[in-house]
Amino acid sequence: MGTKFNIDRKPVPDEEINSHKDFGELVKKFKKQSIEKAKSDASFLKNKKATYSTIIAGVAVICTVTYFSVFKKQPPKESAHEKIVTSQKQSASTPNTKLNKAFIAPPVSKLNVPYTSYHLKAEEGATLKHKSNSKISIPKKAFVNKQGEAIIGDVEIKYREFHNQADIIASGIPMTYDSAGVRTTLESAGMIDIRGYQNGEPVYINPKKQITVEFQSEHTADKYNMYVLDTVAKNWVYVGRDNSLKGLERHQGEKGLKGQKPAENSVVGKVESPKTVELQKQLEAIPPKIENEKVVYTKKVNQLPKASVPNKPAKAVTGRPQFELDVNYKEFPELEAFKNAVFEVGTENKNFSSKLAEITWSSVDISEGTVKGKNYLLTLKLREQVEKLIVYPVLTGANYDQALKLYETKFSDYKSIIAKREAEQKKLKEEFEAKQAAFIAEQKAITKQMIEEKMRWLKEQEGILNKQFQSIDNEEKVKRIFMVSSFGISNSDCPTSMPQGESMSPIFTVNNNGTFIKAEHIYLVCHSKNVVYNFYNPTISYNPKDTYSLCVLSNGKLYLCDKIQLGICFTNKQNKIPLIELNTDVNDAYEFKKALGI
Amino acid sequence: MEYPLQYHHTNEMLLSEQHIIEAAKQDPENFGPLYDKYYKQIFGYVYQRLNCKDTAFDLTAQVFLKALTNIPKYEYQGVPFGSWLYRIAHNELMVLLKKNSKLRTVSADISDLRNICEEVQEEYMEQYKNVLMNVIKDLPEHELQLIELRFFEKRAFKEIAEILNLTETNAKVKLYRILERVKKTLTKKLR
Repeated sequence: MGTKFNIDRKPVPDEEINSHKDFGELVKKFKKQSIEKAKSDASFLKNKKATYSTIIAGVAVICTVTYFSVFKKQPPKESAHEKIVTSQKQSASTPNTKLNKAFIAPPVSKLNVPYTSYHLKAEEGATLKHKSNSKISIPKKAFVNKQGEAIIGDVEIKYREFHNQADIIASGIPMTYDSAGVRTTLESAGMIDIRGYQNGEPVYINPKKQITVEFQSEHTADKYNMYVLDTVAKNWVYVGRDNSLKGLERHQGEKGLKGQKPAENSVVGKVESPKTVELQKQLEAIPPKIENEKVVYTKKVNQLPKASVPNKPAKAVTGRPQFELDVNYKEFPELEAFKNAVFEVGTENKNFSSKLAEITWSSVDISEGTVKGKNYLLTLKLREQVEKLIVYPVLTGANYDQALKLYETKFSDYKSIIAKREAEQKKLKEEFEAKQAAFIAEQKAITKQMIEEKMRWLKEQEGILNKQFQSIDNEEKVKRIFMVSSFGISNSDCPTSMPQGESMSPIFTVNNNGTFIKAEHIYLVCHSKNVVYNFYNPTISYNPKDTYSLCVLSNGKLYLCDKIQLGICFTNKQNKIPLIELNTDVNDAYEFKKALGI
Repeated sequence: MEYPLQYHHTNEMLLSEQHIIEAAKQDPENFGPLYDKYYKQIFGYVYQRLNCKDTAFDLTAQVFLKALTNIPKYEYQGVPFGSWLYRIAHNELMVLLKKNSKLRTVSADISDLRNICEEVQEEYMEQYKNVLMNVIKDLPEHELQLIELRFFEKRAFKEIAEILNLTETNAKVKLYRILERVKKTLTKKLR
C-alpha cells in the first residue's frame, strides 16, 4: 500500500472550504442525474421491445410529469434584458426565485402598493397633496421629452409611498445595499416612487428644475441618508445625508418624540421590561440548581455502604503438587478464609518440575498473582536460583468444610448489603429525578411567562409610542424632503448589518405541521426598526433580544409566522417553524401590514 | 483536527434534524440545512485520508450527491444523520482508493503520535517517529480507520461506534487489540 504519512499538515482554511460549497449545484446535478436515469430506463425498454414504443412514449411523458411534480416546476428563464416590473405588470402566478426574477419583483401582485395618479399642466406646475399629507411641489416647465425639449400640456404624475416593512415586502423593492463590496440592508425612514407620463409616454425632469417632495415620515431619528435606486446597476446610489427634517429640531429626533427627553426612570425605549430581566435571572439560576442536585445525588450514592464479594474457598485437586506455607493473615486478609490452606501449583506453571519440591529454599515470598484474590505469586530463592510459581490456595477435608461455612455466612452478608445499597440507590435516584423534573417544569413555565411578558411589554411600548405620536398635530409630524432630479425610486434610509447573535436552518410547515414547504425567499421582519432582512440560503440569523415576524414566499404564495409563534421558536431554538398561508381576504399592503402585526 | 466535530446531539437536536430529513425526502431543496451543517465535517473526514485537496472536494460533492439520491431510503436509527454521511464517505473513499491507492494519506499531528505511544505505554522519542508511522501505515485499512478516528480525529468512542456501525464496547475492544499489536510490533522493531 503506497500510503503517505502527513505530519502536521496545514488545515484547509474555512474560506476555501466554503467557496466549494454549492448547494444549488448539488441540486442541479441531482436533478440532471434523475432525468438521465429516467431517460436510460426508457431507452432500456425501447431496446428490449421496439413494439412497445407507444407504451415507452407514455412512460417518458409520465417520467417527465413525475419529475416536475416532485421537484417543483421551475419558472421559465426570463430574457437577459430584465425590466422594472410594477404591480400592474406583474402576474400573480409567477413564482419568484433568487436567480430568476425581475430586479423589482413584488411577491404577490395584489398586495403591491398602488400608484396614485395626478394630472397637471406642465407649463403651470402644481402643488399636489397626497393622501398621507405629503406635499409634491412641481415647478413650472419641469418636464422635458427624451429629446430634451420642454413639454407643455397635460402630464400625468404617478406617485406612491412606502412607510413600513409591509410596504417594503409588498413592493418587492430590493433593500440590499452594496457599498464597495460590503452588503448591508437598508433601514427605511420612508421611500417614494414617482414617475411622469404624457399620452402614455414617459417624460423626464428638466435638468434645471427639481421636484420637491415633503414626505410625511413616522421615523424621527436623524441618522438617515438619501439614496436613489439605479435599476440598471441594480444597486442603491448614495446621494447624501438626509438633512431635511422639518417639524422637529434635529437633536430632538435622537431624544424622543416631540423632543421630550424621557424621564430618568422612564421604561419607554428599554429593550426588556424589568419583569423580563427578573424572569431571565430566574431562568439562568435553574441549570446550576440541577447541576447541584446531581452533585448531591452522586455524593450520597458514593456514601452508601460498599461490600466486596468474598472469595469462595477452593478444594484441593488430588495429585496436584502443593506447598504448605505459614501466611501472615494481616498482610493477606482475604486468606483468612483459607486458614490451614495449602497452595496448589497451577497448571499454567510450565517451569514446575518435581525437582523444585526437593530443594530446601532459603527464601519464600508470596505476593498478589495474576488474578487478584484468586491466585498468588510464590517466589522461591536459593542463592542465584529464583523460581516463580502461580499458586492457588486450596483446602482439604474438614478445613474445607469449615471455610465453606464461613464463606457462606460472608456471602449472605455481602448479598444483604448489596440489596440494601441497590434499594437505597433506587430511592435516591427517584428523588433526584423528581427534583430534576420539577426544575425542568419550572424552566418551561418561566420561559412561557417570559415570552408572554415580552409580548405584553412590546405592545405596551408600541401603545405608548403611538399615543405620543398621535398627540402631535399631523402638520407637525416629521417631514423629510426629497429633492427629485430624476423619476424613479428614492429613499431616506440607513444601512444596517444582518442581525447577529443566533442562527438556525429553519424548515417550514403549513397545515398544522402537515406539509413541508420550500422557501424561495425568507423575509425576516424586524419589529424594533423599520427593516426587512432577506434570506435565500437555508440559514437565517437573528438577534435573540429583538422581536421579529417572518414571511415566506413559496410557489407564488406568501406564508406568515407571527411574532409570538416566532418568539417561541427562537427562544426554544426550534427550527421547525409553523406557517399560516396569508389569508385570501388580504388584498392590499395595508391589510398585509395588519397581518404582519406591525 | 481542525475540522469541527459538532457531532453529538441532544434529543431535541436529533428530533429537529429528523424533521429536516423528512422534509428533504419530500423535496431535495429541503436538503440545504443538512448540506450546510455537515459539509465541512465530511470534507475534513475525506481530506484527512487523501493526498489531493481537489480530489477531496470532488469526493465530498460525490458523497452529498449520493446522500441526496438515497435519502428516501434513509431510516432514522437514533443517531445523528452525520454517521450515515460518514459511512457513505468511507465507502466512496474505498472505491476511489481501490482505483488509485497512491491517493491514500494518513494525516496526524506529532502530539497524536505521542498519544499513541502513551497509550501503548511507550515513552515517545523522536527516533520512534518513523518506526511508529511505518507500523501504523502497515495496518489493514479497517484497523487504520479505527486509529485515525480515535487518535488523529480525537473522536469519542460513542461517535466511532456510530460511524462504524459497532457497539461502543466493541469499538473499544477492537481498538485496544490493535494497540496491543502496535505495541508488540513496535517493541520488536525497536530492539
